[in-house]
Amino acid sequence: MIRFTNLNKSFGNRKVIDNLSFTIKSNEIFGLLGPNGAGKTTSVNLAVGLLEPDSGSINIGESGSPHSKKDRLQIGVATQSLAIYEDLTAEENLLFFGRIYGLRGKVLRERVDWAFQFVSLENRRNDKPANYSGGMKRRLNLACGILHDPRILILDEPTVGVDPQSRNAIFEQIKMLNDAGKTIVYITHYMEEAEQLCDRVAIIDNGKIHAMDSVENLIETHGGKPVVRVKVQDEVMDYETDDPILKLDDLRKSGSIGRFSVEYPNLERVFLKLTGKKLRD
Amino acid sequence: MIQILTLAMKDLTIMFRDKSGFFFTFIFPIVIAVLFGSIFGGDNNSGTRTMTVLIVDEDSTTASQSFVKQLDDASEINVVPSTITIASERVRLGKNTAYIAIKKGYGDATQQMFWGDPPEIEIGVDPARRAESAMLQGILMKYGSKRFQDTFSNPGKMLQNLNISKEAVANDSEMDTIWKNNLSQLFSDLDRFFEFESTQIEEFDEHSVDSPLTSGENNVMLPLLVTQKNVAVLKSGPINSYAVSFPQGIIWGIIGVAAAFGISIVVERTQGTMQRLRIAPISLGQVLAGKAAACFTAIIAIDFVLVMLAVTAFGVQINSLVLLLFAMLSSAICFTGIMMLLSVLGKTERSVGGIGWAVLLILSMIGGGMVPLMFMPGWMKTVGTLSPVKWTIMSFEGVMWRGFSLSEMLMPMGILLSMGVVSFFIGVVVMKKTS
Repeated sequence: MIRFTNLNKSFGNRKVIDNLSFTIKSNEIFGLLGPNGAGKTTSVNLAVGLLEPDSGSINIGESGSPHSKKDRLQIGVATQSLAIYEDLTAEENLLFFGRIYGLRGKVLRERVDWAFQFVSLENRRNDKPANYSGGMKRRLNLACGILHDPRILILDEPTVGVDPQSRNAIFEQIKMLNDAGKTIVYITHYMEEAEQLCDRVAIIDNGKIHAMDSVENLIETHGGKPVVRVKVQDEVMDYETDDPILKLDDLRKSGSIGRFSVEYPNLERVFLKLTGKKLRD
Repeated sequence: MIQILTLAMKDLTIMFRDKSGFFFTFIFPIVIAVLFGSIFGGDNNSGTRTMTVLIVDEDSTTASQSFVKQLDDASEINVVPSTITIASERVRLGKNTAYIAIKKGYGDATQQMFWGDPPEIEIGVDPARRAESAMLQGILMKYGSKRFQDTFSNPGKMLQNLNISKEAVANDSEMDTIWKNNLSQLFSDLDRFFEFESTQIEEFDEHSVDSPLTSGENNVMLPLLVTQKNVAVLKSGPINSYAVSFPQGIIWGIIGVAAAFGISIVVERTQGTMQRLRIAPISLGQVLAGKAAACFTAIIAIDFVLVMLAVTAFGVQINSLVLLLFAMLSSAICFTGIMMLLSVLGKTERSVGGIGWAVLLILSMIGGGMVPLMFMPGWMKTVGTLSPVKWTIMSFEGVMWRGFSLSEMLMPMGILLSMGVVSFFIGVVVMKKTS
């Protein structure tokens, strides 16, 4: 698990993390959602020791620190940018990062073989990533992050720019890792991905946690009622209702309905409700 | 330590796989060294260059043919017989630098002594190649003077010319009487002098083949005796022009490596691999040490390859292997430090590439990497002492042809090491602050 306690971090006069406290439990898939500049990446950078907090503390496991090399071995990261060397073959990339993580000899070879099999790239291991598709690069990036068998895996936007097939494959792989006992921290802008994957979700904005719970509870608490949208002649009207079927029946009886749709509360609505609709840069 | 070596191996693998990087670090310096060596050395690498010129003999006398043969035998130029029409056209089209036309009356004029018009030679030159035409004028004057010198050193021929001149002056009705008397007096005096010399030579010929007028001990007819002594040769070199050009080639190789690795640090930052490395259980110091080790190894490798090539293919000699090792180590340390400084000059690959190359080119320019320092004005030579390029070239010249002793090598080595250490620490401190 990772525990953030009263964490504060500023860049100059800008406060990026504001007294942040939350805990990511062992063996859960934890979603970290937030608009641009909300503090997601800063939180991750603090968790892996890339940044030093102004105050507060972070614990990996019971009492581990991100500044300890031994404790950092428990963390694997698949960064948003493809952190792989395009001039090395896929196998050379894995061998290199494996050695950097202290793997040697037979263990290293076995882990590399496992990683290739896990991300379904064993037939392309001798190719350079420059010749890979976007989805294959993402899977190789994931393989680099899990090669040293970390207990905690941080995935920062792992499906950016991939086709539905690759995205589905990545989802399957994440679920398999979670089933194998790994703790997953999943950072994304795609609400449907968080809904589909995450056991719990935290919505962060301006360096603060605005809500944190299971997806169902968040929708229940912040999602509001279903909305029936009907088009009568040229006018579109929204109706909030507890029973959309009943409402539609009432509307049909009172006049003609051109087109209609029912929007049930979802995570996106929760997200927009908590973080607002103002554009973030 | 294993992690540092792993990082260094990775960087070296990437560098060797990058075709453009490989070209600029290994091929380009060899091209520079060979090209500059060939330019400095001339076509046959003997220190002289030959120019092909067209020659038109409009006189066709014994004297003009003798002059053509003299030019044909000259080492400075190759002459190709031609006609004035063809020669003019070829020079106009830039196919030849110049032509030499021996004008009609050349033979007669060579027999006149101290009066009348001198022998006339016309040179047609390409206006775009004035330097070569000036050189050609100098060569013609040299062989023209030689003809004059040969005449003076041959009393028999001189007497023959004097008789022709005396007769011509006596028969000239238009010449001023005072001028005619003065010339007659001069010719009579010269007559006596050369008759005396003629008898001396006949006696001398029984003992020696040298003329007393032109023998080494008595160059009385030479206007100026110039001898050349190459000061550096007094020690051990340069054995050829490549000994001068290869240190320049080496500096280009080193610059290529420093620029490539400086940029590679920024590439690591922008593509995210630096982040992955910093999350890994290794320190920033280890990451930078790996980068420095790779840069250092690559510089030593390019030094080694170029020195081996210079020695095996171009006959360059090394005065001391130990001092060569010192020169290689000190230059590698210096430019590894500079590489680290370059990597923090900007935030993007483009900015570091641009600024880095600009800085390195300026250092190369003022340090003698492009134009030898001897051609620069005094103030620029002083500025050049700030450039590590100057000290790197000097240290390699020291072992290739200047014959430096260990004490003489200490200064360039010390300066290179100081520059390297200071640059490295500034680079590391800035990187730690900015990252």
